[in-house]
Amino acid sequence: MRSGYFKETVAEHINLTDSTLQRIWILIGLIFVVALPFYFGLYGISLITLMAISAIGAMGLNILTGWTGQISLGQTAFMVLGAYAYAISVESWGWPPIIGFALAGIVPAFASVLVGVPSLRLKGLYLAITTLASAFIVNQLVLEFDGLTNGASGIFVNRPTIFGYAFDTDAKLFYLVAFIGLLTVLACLNLRRSRIGRAFIAIRDNDNAARVMGIDLRAYKLYAFMASSFIVGISGALYGIFLSFVTIDGFPLLLAIEALAILIVGGMGSIAGAILGAIFLVGLPEITSAIFGMFGETAKQFLSTGAHEIKGLLYGLVIILFLRLQPHGLMGLWQDAKRAWTLWPLRY
Amino acid sequence: MKLITGLTAAVLLALSAGGAAAEQGITDTEILLGDVAPFTGPPGLLGIAHNVGVKLAIAEVNAAGGIAGRQVKLVSEDDGYVTSRTIQSIRKLIGVDKVFALTAMSGTGQAMASMPIVKQAGIPAMVPIGQLPAMYEPPINNVFVVGQTYTEGMRQLALYLAKTHPGAKWGVILQDDDYGKALADGLEQAQADAEINIVFETKYARGQKDFASEMLRVKAANVDVLIAGGIISENIGIVKEAEKLSITPTIAAFWPGRVPEVLKAIGPASDGLIGVDYVTPIQSEAGQAFVELAKNYLSEEEVPRINRYTMTGYASTKVLLTAIKACETDLTWACTIEKMQSNPPVETGVMAPVRFGEDNRFSNSPVTIMRADFETLSYSPVKD
Amino acid sequence: MTYLLELLSSGLAIGAVYGLIAMSFAIIYKSTGLLNFSQGEMSMIIAYVAWSISTGTDGNPFIVAIGSIGFAILFALAVERIAIRPMMGEPILSQIMVTIGLSVIFRALVTLLWDGLPHNMELAAGNALVDFGGIQVRVAQIAVVVMLFVAIAGMWTFFRYSRFGLAMRAVASDDGTAQLMGVKTGRVQMAAWAASAVMSGTAGVLFAIAFELSPSLYGLGLKAFPATILGGLDSVIGSAFGGLIIGVAENLVGGYISSSLKEIAGFVIIILILMIRPYGLFGEKRIERL
Repeated sequence: MRSGYFKETVAEHINLTDSTLQRIWILIGLIFVVALPFYFGLYGISLITLMAISAIGAMGLNILTGWTGQISLGQTAFMVLGAYAYAISVESWGWPPIIGFALAGIVPAFASVLVGVPSLRLKGLYLAITTLASAFIVNQLVLEFDGLTNGASGIFVNRPTIFGYAFDTDAKLFYLVAFIGLLTVLACLNLRRSRIGRAFIAIRDNDNAARVMGIDLRAYKLYAFMASSFIVGISGALYGIFLSFVTIDGFPLLLAIEALAILIVGGMGSIAGAILGAIFLVGLPEITSAIFGMFGETAKQFLSTGAHEIKGLLYGLVIILFLRLQPHGLMGLWQDAKRAWTLWPLRY
Repeated sequence: MKLITGLTAAVLLALSAGGAAAEQGITDTEILLGDVAPFTGPPGLLGIAHNVGVKLAIAEVNAAGGIAGRQVKLVSEDDGYVTSRTIQSIRKLIGVDKVFALTAMSGTGQAMASMPIVKQAGIPAMVPIGQLPAMYEPPINNVFVVGQTYTEGMRQLALYLAKTHPGAKWGVILQDDDYGKALADGLEQAQADAEINIVFETKYARGQKDFASEMLRVKAANVDVLIAGGIISENIGIVKEAEKLSITPTIAAFWPGRVPEVLKAIGPASDGLIGVDYVTPIQSEAGQAFVELAKNYLSEEEVPRINRYTMTGYASTKVLLTAIKACETDLTWACTIEKMQSNPPVETGVMAPVRFGEDNRFSNSPVTIMRADFETLSYSPVKD
Repeated sequence: MTYLLELLSSGLAIGAVYGLIAMSFAIIYKSTGLLNFSQGEMSMIIAYVAWSISTGTDGNPFIVAIGSIGFAILFALAVERIAIRPMMGEPILSQIMVTIGLSVIFRALVTLLWDGLPHNMELAAGNALVDFGGIQVRVAQIAVVVMLFVAIAGMWTFFRYSRFGLAMRAVASDDGTAQLMGVKTGRVQMAAWAASAVMSGTAGVLFAIAFELSPSLYGLGLKAFPATILGGLDSVIGSAFGGLIIGVAENLVGGYISSSLKEIAGFVIIILILMIRPYGLFGEKRIERL
């Protein structure tokens, strides 16, 4: 009887996939993603697009919070910067969208240096505090520089045309987002298995030990923050394209909380977890309405008057319950199930 | 990549083939309309009242036998005043519920952000809240803006105040967003026609509660006429602070916060507040007639919810329903849009008759100036 | 001159509100090492309960005060016992996320249980105006300044002289050792939560009287947060002064420079403080640098 999977060489450990079976599953998964828009209507497509955008943002945050163990409450600041970098360069200056996307990553990455340098040298919660503050300050800056950002009126964003191909329908936009999502997954996986990625995890697990091993804590924390902000900025640009309108109102502070909640629900430090968490949390309101729909007219009535509040309530409860009962999130559940399947009928 | 392009092309074909049925939302017994507004949280003050007005217009039509033997039904979506949810809701109403027309798209920013989707879908849509010139300039074939812009309202209000308070020193407190900018534009336009001496002008961040320093500057500048450009909480803060500093400028506020709850929250200091609006105040004859009408059709919980947004929602929905009714034989989007622009002006009872035209998607309704009365928690038109 | 005095007086009044809430942040941080991101929401819920009590009874201020203080203590103990205590020993992110989860729940509860409308809260003579040599202030604004100083004096005596305060200081400096010495850390934590709820509740109620009661009252928490950083996260009394400084600074910025800067003045101060003096004006210099 098999007692588990063992990896015998470093190369095996570093490989992105470990078996043909896994590669087949990945292919099936990709085909499934490509096929999704065929099964959904207008609303369904916008929902899965939103899930994909949230997943990209969550994967970005995961680099900082899940791998390096630093807390950021200012996700929205970098989303706003990314969205405006894209909107200004593409819509106001007429630059190609590809450059717009690059700027949507680069601008937040530079901003993260400004925020990160003073706060990452301190241990503890200070990054959480400065990022929270920067979320407010960035919004104010957008309003102050209204010559560039059009102030509170915001900027209209058209669906992009890349290399002559127009992503002008909702389904096409989903493919674009899914493609960028795929690139993000690959980037994260490769970062994770590099020297830098291993340093991040060493810092999270024990910063003193990491330093003794020769990891420059300040530098690597800053790298993590920059990489994270880069991806978060791109998710912000995609969100702006999705809303077809970039304003600071489109990025409420709740998005920052949502991003952290996605990581918790999905499983901290796991890329698949970030994706699962995004699907679960973005889909949660739909699940709620479906459940309320089952309880008949009166429940529906109640939902229509207090929908927002009930969703808020559930949101908070889901965060707390996951933290209490399943701290490893949905990925933890999946690992448990996998282990139980392999080891059955034994428990250990 | 080729695979993806191929597949998307297939999707595109499938979508365009399925998009031909313009009569969505029409069955043998029903006509379905969709409404997006905030029903929860503080903005619910606006959204619920609006929704009640839409329901009232529908109930009135249904009581008269419906349209072409069909009853009109409303699907309401709560967006909580969050733009991304407005967009989701509108996609849901058009794509899943398949409504025939939209009676509102939430507030200013939300409606602006929804415009591309609505334009692409071609569904008849009304804008009764948060009107901006960008919504009808250039006109979008299927989007109809009912009411008046903040800019024009502000211009009229400023002209009135300039006439009644000659030589006064003006103070202006505005919100740092679209709304504040629209008011600033209106003031500027008014300055071309009348002498307005602004001695103090400031912007505040939305959600601010403590207006102590702003009002102290108002006091130091000896302001006689104060434009309170807040919405709800902010105007409460501004007027209460004026009371505290025992200064008594003529304070003028705008229609977004022209609801009884605000007067109540301010307290007695709200007496004499000047307001401006394009719908009639509830205390007027037409306003009372509207309340009587509402009592016939609405439930007991809904009647106390009535405020100016009920009137705007009612009026714009009535205009829409009149156009749909004119298309009894041909219930299509094209016919409805055609009738919207060719119908004679629609009498709604709560505002000036509403009409659109070939290249006109804005009703440009005239405004009246009114004064608040704390005793009855209402406004009445000024006599000058 | 009157202009400056008036700016200062309204700055002190709003600063006292921030100060009380900042003290609540600090006392929980000091005794448990946790930042309670639901502090503003808790103060909002207590203000709403006080409003319900005052409209439900004849509005006798003593009944309202006793009722809402009682509720504040029970509420804080329940939150601490149900949501916070089981998370002790978990990673700091999990603990913080629990308080963020709570804040989302509390915000939803307020609109669900009460409503989303702004209300004018009247309690005794709280709304009345008093004349201080030409400067008018509301009674509630005087009350909040008085309460801040009562709280400062109370906290100082408590930490200095009471056995329990000593225990709290012991827990703050090293909870493991304190536990070995026989200090019941759980009880210390409960006391901290109760005290924080009473202080932030007082601030919330008095703010609601002087300004308005609405579901956006929780924003006070965000405004008070910079005050805690300024005063020093672990300095309860320092936070109170941090609040006063931020309140006055906000009003001076609003009065002499610009209103739009006023709302973010606090957050700019946070960044500056963390660059120059990360332990705050009054905090202990034990922050670990890398």
